[in-house]
Amino acid sequence: MAAFFAGLITGILSGFGVGGGTLLLIYMTTFAGIPQNLAQGINLVYFLPTAALALPAHIKNGFIERSVLLPAIFTGLLGTASAAWIATGLEVELLHRLFGGFLIYVGISELFRKPSIPQDDSSGTSDSPLK
Amino acid sequence: MTKKKSIQAAVAGGAAGLINGFFGGGGGMLLVPLLSRWLDLGDRKAFATSVAVILPLCALSSAIYLLRGGLELSSALPYLLGGALGGILGGKLFKHMNMLWLRRGFALLILYAGVRTAFFV
Repeated sequence: MAAFFAGLITGILSGFGVGGGTLLLIYMTTFAGIPQNLAQGINLVYFLPTAALALPAHIKNGFIERSVLLPAIFTGLLGTASAAWIATGLEVELLHRLFGGFLIYVGISELFRKPSIPQDDSSGTSDSPLK
Repeated sequence: MTKKKSIQAAVAGGAAGLINGFFGGGGGMLLVPLLSRWLDLGDRKAFATSVAVILPLCALSSAIYLLRGGLELSSALPYLLGGALGGILGGKLFKHMNMLWLRRGFALLILYAGVRTAFFV
């Protein structure tokens, strides 16, 4: 049941594209005691229905920039295949520590990143004072 | 889209792919800032487009984890069900969210977890 709710809450964030998967990874490895490599596999599978079900709303709202998709997905597939191959052969403890380093990097860079000018934003939230 | 922008999209996608495959997630955290910075997408477009890019990457990398990582689908099931419901809600709630505060709260949480994971647990 706890797993269901963890999936639900992080799923909302995943639907936003904000890093729900990362939070779910943290939940699984830190609180649920799942080894890093298994947690990563679960996380990837978890994202499939989550993202697939969030996409229709994004498409309907016109938030998908189609011109990006083809080049980004093409190189993305190459990158993800090679990295997944390497990671699944790696020592679990090492993978876990590297993940921690990655989180620190992401946290710091997110915290100090300047908000971009929301050209496509018509919903009235205050992303930028320039709007 | 200009040639330069296509190349930037390809580089951003490739980098997100590496992270996605290596850590089994987190590709979007790299992709979103790159899309908004290099391709001048607004926050909302960057987030939503990132979901569309990451989905096929996850399909491929999860297959590799299944083949090589000893992953059992049954252990993923409860997360999957919650995630599916959350995904629908997330998509619908998205246009009402204040992105700036969402990101800041998120950054603090990630930072806390990062220090814990790298040095403690």
